[in-house]
Amino acid sequence: MDTAIETTDLTRLYGTLCAVDKLSLSIGNEIFGLLGPNGSGKTTTVLMLTTLLRPSSGSARVCGHDVVSEAREVREHISYVPQEMAVDIKLTGRENVALFGKLYGIDRRDEKIDEVLEIMELCDRADDLVRTYSGGMRRRLELAQALVHEPSVLFLDEPTIGLDVAARRKIWEHIRALKGRGMTIFVTTHYMDEADFSCDRVAILDHGRLVAVDSPAVLKSRVGLDIITARITGQWDGTLPEGIQFLGEEEDDLVFSAAEGSVKVPGLVRCFEDQGASVRSISVRTPTLDDIFLSLVQTRDDAGGFDDHRFRTMLRRR
Amino acid sequence: MKDIIYYFERDLLRWLRGRLSVFSALVMPAAWLIFVGLALPTTFTTNYIDFITPGILVLTMLGASLQGGSLLIFDKILGFLNKFLALPAPRESILFGKICFITTRGLIQATVILVLAFILGASLLPPAELALTYGILALFGLLLSAFSTTVALHLSDHDSYAGFNAIVSMPLFFTSSALMPYDVMPSWLRPFAYANPVSYAIDSIRALQEGLILWSRIGALLLLAVVVIAISVHRFRKVTL
Repeated sequence: MDTAIETTDLTRLYGTLCAVDKLSLSIGNEIFGLLGPNGSGKTTTVLMLTTLLRPSSGSARVCGHDVVSEAREVREHISYVPQEMAVDIKLTGRENVALFGKLYGIDRRDEKIDEVLEIMELCDRADDLVRTYSGGMRRRLELAQALVHEPSVLFLDEPTIGLDVAARRKIWEHIRALKGRGMTIFVTTHYMDEADFSCDRVAILDHGRLVAVDSPAVLKSRVGLDIITARITGQWDGTLPEGIQFLGEEEDDLVFSAAEGSVKVPGLVRCFEDQGASVRSISVRTPTLDDIFLSLVQTRDDAGGFDDHRFRTMLRRR
Repeated sequence: MKDIIYYFERDLLRWLRGRLSVFSALVMPAAWLIFVGLALPTTFTTNYIDFITPGILVLTMLGASLQGGSLLIFDKILGFLNKFLALPAPRESILFGKICFITTRGLIQATVILVLAFILGASLLPPAELALTYGILALFGLLLSAFSTTVALHLSDHDSYAGFNAIVSMPLFFTSSALMPYDVMPSWLRPFAYANPVSYAIDSIRALQEGLILWSRIGALLLLAVVVIAISVHRFRKVTL
């Protein structure tokens, strides 16, 4: 596996705030998802890797080139789609793509523009003003712009934010197809289910620190326990059969965790009935990436006083 | 070099496709000329329209240039700038694309004023002087738009840019020789007016009406433009977010 992106102790400070803390990653030809709560340093990481922001310390190489000393070479090999959805609504789809084709100085420009519009299924609307495009189409147009010079690494910051379910699915289909064409895709997202489904590997950031990096399947199996949710009427004194842990209450439900949860269900039901409580419903599910995420990431609300100045600095510099 | 043209093309197309923005760009300078040029009572000259036209020309370039800085603010807020900065094309092309577009738009507005002033009775300049007038206006436009675009690069939102615009445009406007000649303005104002770059452009264009070329004023403008553009290029090359 060739290394497309390699970071070593990559760090970014904003004053006293450490937005990214000694991040070391090695990313090959894959769809790599960077997950984390708001303000965990995802976008800061992307900005450093795309040469837009200087690291405070540590280093990063993209396609073998250093992001600080060889920024221009890095820019030749990458494309970056920020989360803002920046397409010119007064230009046509084709004109939007042509601008990037020209700026990249590609050969056989017109052919290439047709090709990427075709890949993104925008051909029949290519000569309409982007003003008339839906959100999903605009995002696909941005992908077309990003593809026009055949980058080796594609950086996508929240590519599905604000899109409806069908549009999101389509974007991910395209992202997977691009990986099939040999492109490395580095994507940040808030949507765990999407990352679970589409990313080869994910990294979870919390307060700028890497807390986990692996394939979604491995991360889920690492917890290894199923989640059992039960709703009962009557009293339960807290005794449990062996191998089941009480996790807490979620509204009216009692939540337990257990290895091989479905095997433990009859015992649990018997335990409730022995105490005179009756079980109204019970369900078992395997953990999702959400559960992993929440178990690894401290929730922001209990992180002490809200430092307004820091928060603003972070937002502004993001 | 070509990259500058591509960025220029983008801004030009976007401007031309907004009908209201084109309309207002053409009507505003005309309104200035009519309200300031014809409505103010003056006693120091018999042909006020000849006197005021160079002032209005330069003020229009000033307004166009300072307003043009907001183009970059919007590119920044809307995420375009990040995309452009991540391109291998030299970053100063973004700057040059902007200042070429802003200056071109200003010169188009200046043309409206020249035509209108002629219709209102201003004397017509001979071709060489007219060409020099355009040259001086272009130089002034490049200077001011490089300045405003570079300031915009370092500001984060439109409100602060509007604040900057107001702080800079008002004093530059009122302490220039646009509205009155040096000998009628209050004596405390005279040194400020003389040192004001806006006056360099106005004085040079006024001198052209008498067939004179004020090399010292034009030279000062040129020098200032070179310095400001050099600083701007440096800032654009080095910019990080």
